[in-house]
Amino acid sequence: MEDKKLTEKESLDLITRMINVSKRNMEVGDGNVLLYWGYTTALLSILLFSLVWYTQNYVWSWGWMLLFVAWPVITYKQRGKERVVTYTDKTIKKVWQVFGYMFGLTFALIVLFGGIYRPEAFILMLPLSLLYCGLGVSINGIILREKWMTYSPLVAFVFVIYMLMTLINNEHGTILWYLYLGFSFVLMMIIPGHILNHKAKKEC
Amino acid sequence: MLKELDPLLHSQLRLAIMSILLSVEEAEFVYLKEKTNATAGNLSVQLDKLSEAGYIEIEKGFVGKKPRTVCRITERGRSAMEEYVRVLREYVQL
Repeated sequence: MEDKKLTEKESLDLITRMINVSKRNMEVGDGNVLLYWGYTTALLSILLFSLVWYTQNYVWSWGWMLLFVAWPVITYKQRGKERVVTYTDKTIKKVWQVFGYMFGLTFALIVLFGGIYRPEAFILMLPLSLLYCGLGVSINGIILREKWMTYSPLVAFVFVIYMLMTLINNEHGTILWYLYLGFSFVLMMIIPGHILNHKAKKEC
Repeated sequence: MLKELDPLLHSQLRLAIMSILLSVEEAEFVYLKEKTNATAGNLSVQLDKLSEAGYIEIEKGFVGKKPRTVCRITERGRSAMEEYVRVLREYVQL
């Protein structure tokens, strides 16, 4: 393309063509963020479940804090990957930012409302994190028109309600909850992540 | 009497750049180069012209050791494009 003058019709054609060219298309690696988070959380859930199970020591539960370490690592891995940012990309990023803040805020509020003195209160993080992630994935699915992403978090929501009802009934959470969380991440992040990458490969 | 088309936008490469930037949030230099099939030198010159007119903003930075140039359309650029298309339609309807 050069710096040449155009006729009026050529101008309109060019505008239409360029707008179409820049429409968001799937790119290989679109599902990577889901895969990073999915595998990290699923593997961590199995690891922590096993450690608590074999040692009978709940101190391993603090291992969930590793997710706070994973966050900047995954963000670092993703930086500078986008050559173009569409409005869809920006919306998705904002959605995850909101849920990320909610995740951090929930943790801070649990500490504020006495979590330091009652560490068992942190069990609330499991259903609430699952709820936030499920909502995030579902909204992403709606934006990207991906059915599996939209509906797979329903399984997570069943677990969330079950966990919250258990707490309301004054029963204790069990380490099986770790596996419920891991299983939910397989369904709502790992599988959709692979589906997205597979579709992108086919498109490219 | 028909209004004159904005001479800054009425050129193939600059119009292509503006049309792309109009439909995305931001785009990298390499993306624009790929989509417009322009040479790096020519693209760079046209981007500077659009930036000087206040139609786009250019952000230069680094990702690791790699230089990264990101372009965005400004409100002024958006209005200029809207006006350009409006005048263009008048011409085409004649």
